[in-house]
Amino acid sequence: MIGIVNYGMGNIRSVANAVYEQGFDPLLINNADDFSQATHVILPGVGHFKKAMANLEQLSLLTPLKQAVLTDKKPLLGICLGMQLLLSHSEEGDCAGLDLIAGDVRLFRDPKFRVPHVGWNNLNGVVKHPVLRGIPAMADFYFVHSYYASTASQHTLAQCEYDRNFSAIVGVNNIIGMQFHPEKSQKNGLLLIENFCNWDGLC
Amino acid sequence: MRKCTKCGLPETYETIEFDQFQVCNICRQREHRDGSIDWAARHVMLDDMIEQYRGKYDYDCIIPFSGGKDSTFTLYYLIKKYKIKPLVIQFNHGFMRPNLLKNNERTFKKLGVDVLTFTPNFKVVKRLMLEALIRKGDFCWHCHTGIFSYPMHVAIKYQVPLIMWGEPSSEYTAYYDYRDDEIESVDETRFNRFVNLGITAQDMAGMINHDFDLDPRDLKPYTYPPTRDLKQLKYRSVCLGSFIPWDVKAQSKIIMDELGWQGDQVEGMPWDIYPYEKIECYMQGVRDYIKYLKRGYSRVTQMTALDIRHNRVDKAAADKLVAEYEGKRPPSLELFLGYLGLTEDEFNNIVLNTVVPPFKPDFENMQDAPKTWDFDLWYREEV
Repeated sequence: MIGIVNYGMGNIRSVANAVYEQGFDPLLINNADDFSQATHVILPGVGHFKKAMANLEQLSLLTPLKQAVLTDKKPLLGICLGMQLLLSHSEEGDCAGLDLIAGDVRLFRDPKFRVPHVGWNNLNGVVKHPVLRGIPAMADFYFVHSYYASTASQHTLAQCEYDRNFSAIVGVNNIIGMQFHPEKSQKNGLLLIENFCNWDGLC
Repeated sequence: MRKCTKCGLPETYETIEFDQFQVCNICRQREHRDGSIDWAARHVMLDDMIEQYRGKYDYDCIIPFSGGKDSTFTLYYLIKKYKIKPLVIQFNHGFMRPNLLKNNERTFKKLGVDVLTFTPNFKVVKRLMLEALIRKGDFCWHCHTGIFSYPMHVAIKYQVPLIMWGEPSSEYTAYYDYRDDEIESVDETRFNRFVNLGITAQDMAGMINHDFDLDPRDLKPYTYPPTRDLKQLKYRSVCLGSFIPWDVKAQSKIIMDELGWQGDQVEGMPWDIYPYEKIECYMQGVRDYIKYLKRGYSRVTQMTALDIRHNRVDKAAADKLVAEYEGKRPPSLELFLGYLGLTEDEFNNIVLNTVVPPFKPDFENMQDAPKTWDFDLWYREEV
């Protein structure tokens, strides 16, 4: 079953529906015990970085999440805020993240560009990765975010051009994160979710 | 009307666009097909795909089959070249012609295949025909949706993940453009993009709610199965024509020579030149007639356009055929009006509401097309 971490940060139902439509069985993860039934873990998220970290802590999900990913090597997909949480630190609330991938989350500051970055945008510099298989070169995905991930190039699997070229997909080992919403990105987004659910976590 | 200077398709044709040379996108994507697609690589993909599914299920694949030239060639090709074991699925639209039934029996017996035929309730079919005619000026909704959804239900029931169709839609329209260099997936997206005319079975249930006792289950054969079920099957639903370049004339000759497949007279067509096209259905003449009334062209234009792109006929000869054969009232119209309980005036008024501008049909001065040999054998409603 595909575990979806339910930590009060929105967007659970649309992710669960997308997983279900692709032929997999979604499972809401409400507590530490639920991780054992999940073969894969999805960390969705809409809202404030600091609040999200606080919720994970409060619901006692932080340690079991890290254990599922780092010890049990279950594939992990972070979506939007869930992707930002994978990194070391965010400017939003000046808060430490899960630190699964080295990097920072920063605010878009160029006044010539509207914040948040909302809408469909294409990726560039897409690397070969099992989860990204079959995605056409100029495919568009749906973004809505005010903060962006800044990571080293070896952790960046794809970039997106806004006021700067930022990391749109990040990854290391069995962990992958997407700044855009695959569950809201039609055919190509659903393919990413399908690929993730079929992924064994190896690169 | 604006027309493609190369093939003659008019601006009322679905998905058509013209470039600065007034050549249409269907011609351009065809040029791409012949000049830029790596067909050798596509053929290797086909080989790999067939091997991937061979011997693992009750059948190696499902082949939806009408008995026309395209599905007959698809079945012939896959059996002769790959010796696969298919399950052949026939969706009986209600108007199969005597010669087609003979062709099918011969094809099945000569090739040695298992066949399932499904025939939906004709009372429901007639009501669906009327609704689709009124809404879209296309009475074939039950056939479009049944042909493309019913085999998918069978694939799920028999747990056979590979479904092989014949001709890709890029041969005729630009819903899927050869220039995108993608394999056209015959899936729910394609079904909703153009197959179902923008009307789902649920829509039909909502629209037919006052004059007909429609059981919701009556619409199951026309309903696309849930994506989740197909995904769990790990289905692959593709056209043979995405892997080998499609050539209707050459392929028709092969099935005639190898299977004894026989062409037929089709209302409104030049019988000696195009005996192989659309021989499946005795409502074909009405379908093509409505197309003419709505869009100002008919099947002759489509067939000559294909031949022009193959350099098999020149534009002047094509124009002559079009002028001689198109826009004639087919004898089958009388049967059609009987099924739907319409007068010809009512029919004309319905069609008039769906005309695609700038074409304007002229219902006066309409000539009659000749009867085909089997006209008297077709089903008639008793008055």
